[in-house]
Amino acid sequence: MDRLTGLETEYGLWVDRIDVVDLMAEARQVVQSGPAGVPWDYEQESPLQDLRGFRASHLKTNPTDDHYEQISRSRTPQPRTPHEEHVDRVLTNGARFYHDHGHPEYSTPECLSLWDLLAHDRAGERIVWEAAQRYQQRTGRAVAVYKNNTDYHGISYGCHENYLVRRDLPFDHLLSGLLPFLVTRILYAGAGKVGVEGPADKSDHLFYQLSQRADFFDEIASVDTLHHRPLINTRDEPHADRRLWRRLHLICGDANLSEYATALKLGTTALVLGTLEAGYGAPVELKDPIEAIRQISQDSTCRWLVTLSDDKTMPALDIQRAYQLAAQELFAGRDDETDWLLREWAVVLNDLEEDPRRLRDRLDWVAKRDLLESFLEDENRNWHEDLDQLRSLELEYHHLDPERGLFFSLQRQGSMQRLTSDAQVEEAKYSAPRNTRAYLRELCLSRFDVKSASWGQLTVKHRRRMVKLDLGHAVNGELEPLKEMPADASFEDVVESIAEMQARR
Amino acid sequence: MPERKTQPITDQPWTKPNDGGDEGGPRAPDVERPTTRELLERMKRVDPRQARRYRQRSGE
Repeated sequence: MDRLTGLETEYGLWVDRIDVVDLMAEARQVVQSGPAGVPWDYEQESPLQDLRGFRASHLKTNPTDDHYEQISRSRTPQPRTPHEEHVDRVLTNGARFYHDHGHPEYSTPECLSLWDLLAHDRAGERIVWEAAQRYQQRTGRAVAVYKNNTDYHGISYGCHENYLVRRDLPFDHLLSGLLPFLVTRILYAGAGKVGVEGPADKSDHLFYQLSQRADFFDEIASVDTLHHRPLINTRDEPHADRRLWRRLHLICGDANLSEYATALKLGTTALVLGTLEAGYGAPVELKDPIEAIRQISQDSTCRWLVTLSDDKTMPALDIQRAYQLAAQELFAGRDDETDWLLREWAVVLNDLEEDPRRLRDRLDWVAKRDLLESFLEDENRNWHEDLDQLRSLELEYHHLDPERGLFFSLQRQGSMQRLTSDAQVEEAKYSAPRNTRAYLRELCLSRFDVKSASWGQLTVKHRRRMVKLDLGHAVNGELEPLKEMPADASFEDVVESIAEMQARR
Repeated sequence: MPERKTQPITDQPWTKPNDGGDEGGPRAPDVERPTTRELLERMKRVDPRQARRYRQRSGE
């Protein structure tokens, strides 16, 4: 990819005999059962700062959640500091592992290579699952961890993508250019869901849809994330030089188990951002993006038609094709990874048009639907007979236990394409990508006395002094890969490396 | 917000309306359905009410 990219996943957590009201305390313990790390530094966080140039007064909260919160406060002492709340830590692989609102959350280190990002996403699954196993051994409570986005009772949690984007790309152009793409990419990036939730609940006659998250969006763009969720989050925390960069924080994606779907989701989005930075715009304007994402997700006829601003309709596949062609025109031949993406993007769009079932070895929504259909056929039953049971089976698809999870069973028997190897995933559990600033984090954590860390900053005790290293400047103006650093680099080497990157801006 | 157009309802979700017809509908998939007997037996043992009990806090 041509930009720093990362993925944050909030995992669903179930603990035997623990009520949802008390889930936050248990989620904290799960995280604390994971690998030790360096405390997170909150100094550079500003969740109220909006990309559109203002500061929000507050973030909206979810009413159901407020109710749980009220009961929780009356039952147990509440954390007093962000550290007590989040038990946040930075790991040696450059990742962040913490508790967020009842969910263990894992943020991959910044990656430039799609293959690195896939390995780190998979490494995150293993780290979270192993932490849950240790929690189970310690407490004696059975635990399940799900990589999904819904509890089927109207509560959702996210899988967020982060892309570094040039600040000189006007936000309005970014927004209008991205919307038709994001709304239609669920065709391959959707993880599939049994039934419908929320105001659009049609579960009496709709049994399966493309996306886990599509039911949960009410706005196009806002700084909120917990309630009245937007397709595009406008939080302005670049974690890099603010004059040069934005961090595009997308919260509308599903959490994928399929590596192929993850690769397409992230890779095509990075390519589309590249076309927008090159001056291309959106091929169409949607009449109502919120309605369109639900419509595509819930269209059981697989026609996937969307209404444009001029009231004409167009197949969502054709909108994706227009984006693919633009990326092809600009980026074909750039490198192997880009060529793989451009080719597979086109293949998937053709397969979706001709017969989506061909994609059962690559896309989550197809693989899961296929599995459920097989079960129903074997039982001689229909989709509408027992939604609860289908949802229970769906949860098993998303289960992180490599022995029990249905996705991992499919992968093990060779029914899902795999793009990483066990060795790459194992290495990613401990090591950062070598070509981004995440490696500076790994290097400092393993060699120096690091007191706190964040995406943009490291505080290191060096020769009895506290030194702050500004990693925000370790993103140079050309986004060139990080200069190779030796594993035995001295503290002075690290400081010099950062200064050099700053000078190259 | 405009009212959503009602789609034809089928008992088999994600089946194209012309599936199996003679108007050049989808061909048989190139990929064999992978589900094995062992996997189906495991699915039968899944607690059918676990999703009903599954409750989460709102995430971002």
